[in-house]
Amino acid sequence: MAEDANVKAGTVYHPAEGNRKVKVAASGVDVFYADKQALHDVSVEIGDRAVTAFIGPSGCGKSTFLRCINRMNDTIDTARVSGSIRIDGEEINDRSVDPVLLRARVGMVFQKPNPFPKSIFDNVAYGPRIHGLAVSKDELDSIVETSLKKAGLWDEVADRLDQPGNSLSGGQQQRLVIARAIAVNPEVILMDEPCSALDPIATARIEELIDELRENYCLIIVTHSMAQAARVSQMTAFFHLGHLVEFGPTEEIFTNPRDRRTQDYITGRFG
Amino acid sequence: MQLSLFTALALLVLTATGFLAGRTRALAIGAREEGRLHSLPNYHGYFVALWTGLPAFALLALYAVTGTMVVNTLALGELSRASEPLQQRYEAILATDEDHRAATASVERLEAEIRMLRAEADAIIASEGPHSEALAPLRARQEERLFDQDDARFVITSREAAIAGIVLEAADADVADARARAGFEYRRLPPEQRELFVADARALAFADTLASRDTPELRAAAEAFVPRQQALAWGVSLAALALAAGGLAFGRSRVTRQFRARNRVEWMVSAALMLASAIAILTTLGIVLSLLFESLRFFASIDWRVQDFLFGTQWSPQTAIRPGQIGQSGSFGAVPLFAGTGLIMLIAMLVAAPVGLFAAIYLSEYADSRFRAWAKPVLEILAGVPTVVYGFFALLTVGPLLRDFALFLGYEDAVTQSALAAGLVMGVMIIPFVSSLSDDVINAVPQSLRDGAYAMGATKSETIRHVVFPAALPGIVGALLLAISRAIGETMIVVMAAGQAANLTANPLESVTTITVQIVMLLTGDQEFNSPKTLSAFALGLVLFVLTLILNIIALRVVQRYREKYD
Repeated sequence: MAEDANVKAGTVYHPAEGNRKVKVAASGVDVFYADKQALHDVSVEIGDRAVTAFIGPSGCGKSTFLRCINRMNDTIDTARVSGSIRIDGEEINDRSVDPVLLRARVGMVFQKPNPFPKSIFDNVAYGPRIHGLAVSKDELDSIVETSLKKAGLWDEVADRLDQPGNSLSGGQQQRLVIARAIAVNPEVILMDEPCSALDPIATARIEELIDELRENYCLIIVTHSMAQAARVSQMTAFFHLGHLVEFGPTEEIFTNPRDRRTQDYITGRFG
Repeated sequence: MQLSLFTALALLVLTATGFLAGRTRALAIGAREEGRLHSLPNYHGYFVALWTGLPAFALLALYAVTGTMVVNTLALGELSRASEPLQQRYEAILATDEDHRAATASVERLEAEIRMLRAEADAIIASEGPHSEALAPLRARQEERLFDQDDARFVITSREAAIAGIVLEAADADVADARARAGFEYRRLPPEQRELFVADARALAFADTLASRDTPELRAAAEAFVPRQQALAWGVSLAALALAAGGLAFGRSRVTRQFRARNRVEWMVSAALMLASAIAILTTLGIVLSLLFESLRFFASIDWRVQDFLFGTQWSPQTAIRPGQIGQSGSFGAVPLFAGTGLIMLIAMLVAAPVGLFAAIYLSEYADSRFRAWAKPVLEILAGVPTVVYGFFALLTVGPLLRDFALFLGYEDAVTQSALAAGLVMGVMIIPFVSSLSDDVINAVPQSLRDGAYAMGATKSETIRHVVFPAALPGIVGALLLAISRAIGETMIVVMAAGQAANLTANPLESVTTITVQIVMLLTGDQEFNSPKTLSAFALGLVLFVLTLILNIIALRVVQRYREKYD
């Protein structure tokens, strides 16, 4: 990309949509699980208010990299992360950064819907409560309502907010979890294969939602489905064996990949 | 015995032969005939071996269980027949004996009078209550009659003994007829002494143990045992060998190319497995039924006043030594025992629930894997310490410590054996149950839930309090219930450290007693097996069984429902 004349410092260029401010910038990130190196020297700049997709075969390190961005790897005893990751220019791997506060800025949605064993309301209110975002009950009510509306779930659950979160269907649970993530007003939302446990209709609903959320958030999504990456993302990164092989505008990656391995993966020759 | 051993060895050899015979035949058929055998040759071997060994060993097992009984019945029948003339002479003399007849009549008359007095007393109790003054003379008269009755009974037994002596003396002239005298002696023995007679006779007959005495009568009886025992042993051995040979021939004749030996063997395997589980279930059933029937006998002996047992507040099971004494039915109100059990259980759970739970949370959520790898087994070793060791720890260390502390605080009545000492130590004993089971359920909470909470920016303790603990709660409740049922059934610690006084108190510094302690007290030492005092132990056992059963059922259901949620 460096040879492209349109690139400006601190931005990510997209041929159709122009330059975007860089939200997450990684450089030289290595991850080790015990003695095994899972990620080799990954450097990438991810733009704000866009959807960036990470694709690649199983075990290629895309989820590992995703978990670096909100320091979820800290919760694994054997994991060791080195290199630099900056959000808005601020280093997050620094000792002075509290991962608890970082995770309020960088929300995450997982592969399997994981609502807490609480009511729908308490699931969404959980984040605002632990971070003290609402001073009154009314304020909390309005945060929950807004979040559920943004996640497109409000109309379906407005009359049964006191029911347990896991009484919902799989697709609804996943949207509940997204609402839960939105409720703390994050800047970045990470999604780790958010649709792999869902049926096609629920998947379509979530993809629509991802497209709507792009207006306000920096979204990073790991997916196994290349069709999904093509549908929802503006930028795509291809990982292979712990290396970031290629990163660029989605159309370019899918129609005109520069790397041989990317081409082989996209055309279904492996993975 | 040796004969059975040789038979068993011979049967083993035959079984092995059966296996080889089946296998060889199957191999021969496979080589001779077109097409594949339905089953591998080994299965044909197993099939023939099963037919050879099973029926024969079943017969041997049957003999081992019932052989002695069969021989006893046959030999005693013979003795009884031989003694018939003596018995007739005895009965004839007894029928003409005036003293005996008079004593029998007076026993019956006194019996009727006593019954009348009881009815009168009951009527007075019903109308005027149990403390009426009119009862005293009635009771005195009743006691008088009971004494008279005992005297009459004594006359009867001494007359019977005297007449038996006359009969035996007359028979003594005929020394050869020792067998008849043995049969006569056996017939006149009370049931509990008959067993001793048989045991002595067998001891003399087979010289495998020492007899308690040696008389010509016992020698004669022993001679009746020997031939029958030998005949039965040889008969059974020969029959077993014949069965084995027959089974071998039959099994071998079944071996053909299409014969489904594999399926038959499979069936046998499942039958054997079923038998094993049936034994476990039937044993449980037997224990429960014996508890139930003995409890019914107890309730019958307290005139079905079940409510007095379950809700009465006075526990003093001491009964009179001499039968017929007034006030022989002790007081069987079990509430102090239930309360004592409950108090100690409560103290134990106050110790075990928080400590066990926090230990489980630390081990499963905070401890690093190296610490966990040795801390968890060490904690589980705590469950392997014999409860009697906890018992003397409670009695010799914790009890005096608590007493001195209470005295220091100004509580004058402190005692060494207290509910608190027993409860604290029992709490320590069940910590591993709580922690180990809770650790399992906490680990079963999916990692995705923790990840979800961490990703929301929750700290570790927030994640545990808000997400992991609520998710694991049903399982933890189940673990606590199992621990409670363990605490209720625990015996050794409370026997040693809680005392025996059946106090109805909520003060943990006093001595209390529990259901299990009372069962131990009631059944140890010399006891008559038909006194309400002894039988009440079975009723207490039944209550204990029902309590722990209910707790276990609830606990298992709770745990199961929890499991279903995440599978």
